[in-house]
Amino acid sequence: MYCLFVLRNDKSGCFGGRALISLWALLLCSGIGALAQSTAAPLNANAPFSIRATHVLGLPNTKNNCNGTLSIQGDALQFQQNGKPGAEVNIASVRALFLGEESKQVGGLPVKLGKAAAPYGGGRVVSLFAHKKYDTLTLEYVDSDGGVHGAIFEVAKGQGELVRNELVARGVASSSGKDQPTKQSTSEVTYEDK
Amino acid sequence: MKTSKRNLWIFCVAASVTIAVAFSGRLAGQTAAVKPSGGSSGSGTQWSLQVERIDPGRLDLAHSFQVAIYENLLEELNETKRFKYVLREGDGKASAIPDLLILKTMVVKYTPGSETQRAVTTVSGATKLTVRSQLVTREGKIVLERTVNGNVRFFGSNLRATHNLACNIAKAIKQSNVAMVRASYRDTQLPTLNADGT
Repeated sequence: MYCLFVLRNDKSGCFGGRALISLWALLLCSGIGALAQSTAAPLNANAPFSIRATHVLGLPNTKNNCNGTLSIQGDALQFQQNGKPGAEVNIASVRALFLGEESKQVGGLPVKLGKAAAPYGGGRVVSLFAHKKYDTLTLEYVDSDGGVHGAIFEVAKGQGELVRNELVARGVASSSGKDQPTKQSTSEVTYEDK
Repeated sequence: MKTSKRNLWIFCVAASVTIAVAFSGRLAGQTAAVKPSGGSSGSGTQWSLQVERIDPGRLDLAHSFQVAIYENLLEELNETKRFKYVLREGDGKASAIPDLLILKTMVVKYTPGSETQRAVTTVSGATKLTVRSQLVTREGKIVLERTVNGNVRFFGSNLRATHNLACNIAKAIKQSNVAMVRASYRDTQLPTLNADGT
C-alpha cells in the first residue's frame, strides 16, 4: 500500500508527460479512424452493387417498363432483364443524375379489371389504398458520338439514394442535382410561362 | 308489308353505301397525308433532324419528364420515316449532314397530376403538358412552329403524358412535311398552329 502510494506520488510529478502520452494516443486513434474512413470509399467503389429496378425507358436494346436488376460493376452501370443479356452504360459517360419521387397504382391489369368490376364504386376505394411510392432515377449520358441519351429507372423508395451514392463514389459528377418530385397534391396547380 | 321490307332494304343499302363512301374518303385523306413523303423525296431533298433536349423554360418540370419527352420524341420521329437521320443533341455526325433541321422544344405549360387521384375520381388528376416545338435550320430560320398538347386523363402513369405528347409532335411534323420543306428557304415565320391544325 505504501509502495503504491509512493508510486502515485512519483507519477503525479510527471503529469505533463502523461498528458502528452494521452494526447499522442488520442491523435493516433483518430488518425487511424480517419485513415479507415478514407480507405473505405475505394473499397466500396470496387464492390459490386445491385438492386431490383424497372427500366422505364432510354436504354438501348431494352424493353420499356421491364423489371430486372440494376447493378454497378467496375466502371459500368448494367441493367439486366431476367435471363436476358443486359444493357450497359459506362459510368464515365454519365453527365447528370437526378432523383425523383413518384407514386403509382399497383397490381397491374388484373387489379385494374377487378376494380372496374367492383360494384358501388368499390374499385375507387381500393384505388385509394392500392398505390405505392417509389424513387425515379434519371440518368443523362453520352454515347461514343457525343449524342445525349437519357434513361429512367424506377427503384424501391429509399434505394435511389443508394444508387446515387454509389455512382457518385465511382466518379459521377457530384454536382448532379436533385430532381424535383412531381407534386401529388389534391388540387391541380398550373404553371404557365408568361 | 312488302313495301316496308323493300324500304328497309333500300335504307340498308343506302347506309352501306354512305359508310363505304365515308371510309373511302377517309382512306383517301390518309393516303394524301402520306403522299407528301414521296413528294419530298422526289424533290431531291430528304431532311435529317437533330432533336435538342427539352427546354423547361421557367417551369418546375421534373428531369424525368424532360428526359422522357426527349427519348419518346426520338423514337416517334424515327417511326415516321420522314427523315433520313434522326440525331441526338451533341451527335458529332450532325456536322457532316448537309440538310439538317433542328427540333427545339420548350415547355410552356405543365399541370402535374396524380395517378391515384385519376383512379379514385376519374375526372381530376390529369397530367397535362403543352410545348412549343420549332423546326429550325442551321442558319436559325424557323421552318415550322407548333404548339402541341399531351396529357393523360384516365389510365396510365404520369409519364404516359410524355409519350402522348411525343406522338402528337411527331404527328404534327408528319402532317406538315410539305409546308416544312417548301418554307425552309423562306425567312418568314409561320403562324403558330395547334396539333389538330386549327
